[in-house]
Amino acid sequence: MRKSRPNCFAGFGSLVWLLVVGLPLYVMLVATFQTRPDYAANGPLSFPEHFTLDNYIDDLNSGFAQYFLNTVIVTVCVVGIVLLLVPPLAYTIVRSRGRATTTVFRLFLLGLAIPSQAVIVPMFFVISEAGLYDNLIGVILPTAAFAMPVCALILTGVMRDITPDLYEAMTMDGASPRRVFFQLVLPLSRSGISTIVVFSALQAWNGFLFPLVLTQSAETKVITLGLYDFQTEHGVNTPGLLAAVVLSMLPILIVYLFARRALVQGLMGVGGK
Amino acid sequence: MTPTAALSPDGETVKKDGSSAIGAGRPGFLWAAPAAVFFGLFALVPLVMVAVLSFASWDGLSDPEFAGLDNWRKLLDDPVMIKSLWLSVLLTVLGVAVQTPLSILLGVWAAGHQRNRGVLSAIYFVPMLLSVAAVSVLWRAVLDPNMGVPAQATWLFGDGNLFGKQATAIGVLVFVSTWQFTPLHTLIYQGAARAVPQVLYQAAQIDGAGTVRQFFHITLPQLRNAIITSMILMVVGGLTTFDTVLILTQGGPGSDTTISAYYMYQKAFKSFDYGGASAIALLLVLVSTVISLIVVRLSGYDKMRSTMEGL
Amino acid sequence: MKQRARFSRTVVVGGAALALVLSLSGCGGDSDAAGGDTLRVLVYGDAANKVEKEIVATFNKTSKVKAVLDTIPGADYQAKLQTIINSKQAPDVFFNWGGGSIKPFVDAGLLLPLDPFIAEAPDLKAKFLPSVFNSAVVDGTSYGVPMRGTQPVLLFSNGKVLERAGVEPPKTWDDLLAAVKALKADGVTPIALGGGDRWPTLMWFEYLYDRIAGPELFQKALDGDRDAWASPDSRKALSKIRELVDAGAFGTNYDSVKFTDQGSPTLLATGRAGFELMGSWEYSTQQDAHPEFAKSDLGYSAFPSVEDGKGDRANVVGNTNNFYSVLKKTKHPRAAAEFLKLMYSDRFVKAQLAIGNLPTTTNTEGFLDTAASPEFAKFQYDMVKAAPAFQLSWDQAYPQSAATAMYQSLQQFFNGSMDEDAFIKAMQALPTS
Repeated sequence: MRKSRPNCFAGFGSLVWLLVVGLPLYVMLVATFQTRPDYAANGPLSFPEHFTLDNYIDDLNSGFAQYFLNTVIVTVCVVGIVLLLVPPLAYTIVRSRGRATTTVFRLFLLGLAIPSQAVIVPMFFVISEAGLYDNLIGVILPTAAFAMPVCALILTGVMRDITPDLYEAMTMDGASPRRVFFQLVLPLSRSGISTIVVFSALQAWNGFLFPLVLTQSAETKVITLGLYDFQTEHGVNTPGLLAAVVLSMLPILIVYLFARRALVQGLMGVGGK
Repeated sequence: MTPTAALSPDGETVKKDGSSAIGAGRPGFLWAAPAAVFFGLFALVPLVMVAVLSFASWDGLSDPEFAGLDNWRKLLDDPVMIKSLWLSVLLTVLGVAVQTPLSILLGVWAAGHQRNRGVLSAIYFVPMLLSVAAVSVLWRAVLDPNMGVPAQATWLFGDGNLFGKQATAIGVLVFVSTWQFTPLHTLIYQGAARAVPQVLYQAAQIDGAGTVRQFFHITLPQLRNAIITSMILMVVGGLTTFDTVLILTQGGPGSDTTISAYYMYQKAFKSFDYGGASAIALLLVLVSTVISLIVVRLSGYDKMRSTMEGL
Repeated sequence: MKQRARFSRTVVVGGAALALVLSLSGCGGDSDAAGGDTLRVLVYGDAANKVEKEIVATFNKTSKVKAVLDTIPGADYQAKLQTIINSKQAPDVFFNWGGGSIKPFVDAGLLLPLDPFIAEAPDLKAKFLPSVFNSAVVDGTSYGVPMRGTQPVLLFSNGKVLERAGVEPPKTWDDLLAAVKALKADGVTPIALGGGDRWPTLMWFEYLYDRIAGPELFQKALDGDRDAWASPDSRKALSKIRELVDAGAFGTNYDSVKFTDQGSPTLLATGRAGFELMGSWEYSTQQDAHPEFAKSDLGYSAFPSVEDGKGDRANVVGNTNNFYSVLKKTKHPRAAAEFLKLMYSDRFVKAQLAIGNLPTTTNTEGFLDTAASPEFAKFQYDMVKAAPAFQLSWDQAYPQSAATAMYQSLQQFFNGSMDEDAFIKAMQALPTS
């Protein structure tokens, strides 16, 4: 077989990349099980002498449990809002022939081009006037809004692939749009729906700028901000800081371990098919 | 929501492809209304406010005052602003230039079904599980000149002054983005590579084409759509990089990594020049709109057709 | 097929309901907390918060209106403050640096004049050192009460490292240069600098300008005389900075190190650097992170004098103090006044001294012996008392809108990517008030 030579090259390349990806992950994991003096004395590349879980325990006691909960609340609500609003929207865009719908779709396409930073100044005043400053709702609403354009795009793409014959068959039977939606469109768009769940959940989980500007107290802090504050205040406590980083990825890691296929497929969907 | 009351008013009876359809059974605008209102309220209204504010002078303490084109004129004269635009472009171009070949190679490689590839792909995916903030914090710690890896690997990092020089600071930003986002793009290419019809390769093999030739003559052309999507994601992501800059460099040294999105944040929340910040924001929107329009053109998203049609 | 449809429907409807319920519950909860009988106190988040927490607890024991302490981590404090101060979420009482830092708020009519309270309870003014109290007087009206300690900038050192290199804390600029040479030869970074934060770099400019040109030059520049920056004294100060940086005093990677994440204090504490020029809070920082070092090896001295300089070698640079100011729209002005009265209580003074801060009340002198480090407290107290001039940090003196550009130029001149002329031009371009 002629394949062996290029495979060698690919094998080498993939090992290099493994090193690039793996080394920082190794440093991160190893550091979190070391005491602070050990880490300072031995450096990031060495293996722990005295294994300890204190870094994790300290983090959880210093508010990370609360930040976690906040992030979970934000994520669940954002996904909830997106699931509630986007499927009917996409359904309308695909099936309706009204001019208003086309305009709405164009607006959502425009929305793709609005980076969230661009609206942060007025967003602060809108949220503040609404009395939602330093309140998780104030983070949830704009985060959901900014996840919508991409979700709408992904889902309309999927819904367009439902063959017209199926719609016709149902409407012939006199089915209402509601029935068509629940019995035909939703079941056939499951892949798309799981993609928008993954996408909007990641948006919410990653959210940084909205929480940074729209919240301030420990009760409303999300985990990304918790990490940022930890870094700006006690950055030199590297083991503690990195333990917080590990904690922040645990939930997604668990999802990844148990639903790897769904997550990966969902992410592939972000890039279209 | 009362969808049943929302029958489409303009029931067209004949479609282009000849099959008949009945107006009844199509959803009306009311189905889209909640999403439209919600999105309008939290994205479009603030956008309009940005546009208005870009013509105002405002520090958030007193009332905004109309300032005409002042903010815009100042922007054009502001060396840091001009520099920030260049930096944004530079960072974006470097990001695309590094990530695209890397993720195509990794994606095509991972598309194979060998067992070891599956295992390695699973590890490659891990950075994707971390938030941007977490990744930035991680790298800031790993690259700390005194407590991080540079202190132990002076042969590679010298004095470890990675954040104190423009070239290395930019290098760090590009590298960290690559580290974080390559898994996503790899996935996109992996999916696309798997969708390439095997017949094409079989035919090529009969013609005696080697792996390299196959890659350039079959795989790459077939990945065209994936390349477009992935590049767009990179470009928009690159232009709006914020968390990474805030956590890793704070735009420094000096203003050497102050890209436009970060400069806007500084103007708004450090210098309290909300008007000037809004002008930059509007500029960002315009740039991304142009890019978006290009995507829409290239990908045919705006035409209401099924993506299946191309096949 | 049918069952799947039901599944999807459940997901959609359930998600919606959940979101709704959560939003309702969240909304209701917060609006209650914001109104009510609370006095919201906003402070800069750092190691000194311990005392603020204690004072709030003391206050709440007797007061019907309960004080709630909010902290915002240092780096973002000023930004957050100005964003929320004119919004519904504004605190009742907030931490600031007096002078230039509250001027825009006063101009916008947001602050409550404290003079009526002082008329009722003269102690609110009389119990503080006048020079310090006056830095929160804007246009003849008092807007702030000192609430932490005075924070002169000192040259801190690691005694062990100095001893090993045979170096004494420098009295003159030449001493400093000699010390740099000796420490460098000994293989340590002579001076730790958190250049990543930028304001630690600023301290070197402040002291050198003061020693060489006296406090007048900066005051002139601040008053709008742009030529001050181009004067021979200004150029001399800049060349001294160049000299020091080029001598390798700060090593080469100072711009990658920060003070706020405790990078530079750790260098000093672990013996990897000999000196650090820092505000007096270095002491509480070290006490917190490296208690052993703070107790035994942490040294401190005044900034060295510079030959032929016009500035008095007893002049001090730093934060005169931090202040509490009250917002005009507070619902509880009485409670706020009561709260402010705690700032000269014996208990407050003792608590501040215990963490290394130096309150500027008239009763401070009597408690100096109870300080965490009595010598350190006395040293600072004598230094501040004897200082002919106390230069407020440049970034606090200039309007906020100048800060970013100022930091950028300072950093670029310091690391050599901007030359003297360009730096002078950049400083001349800063907006003055």
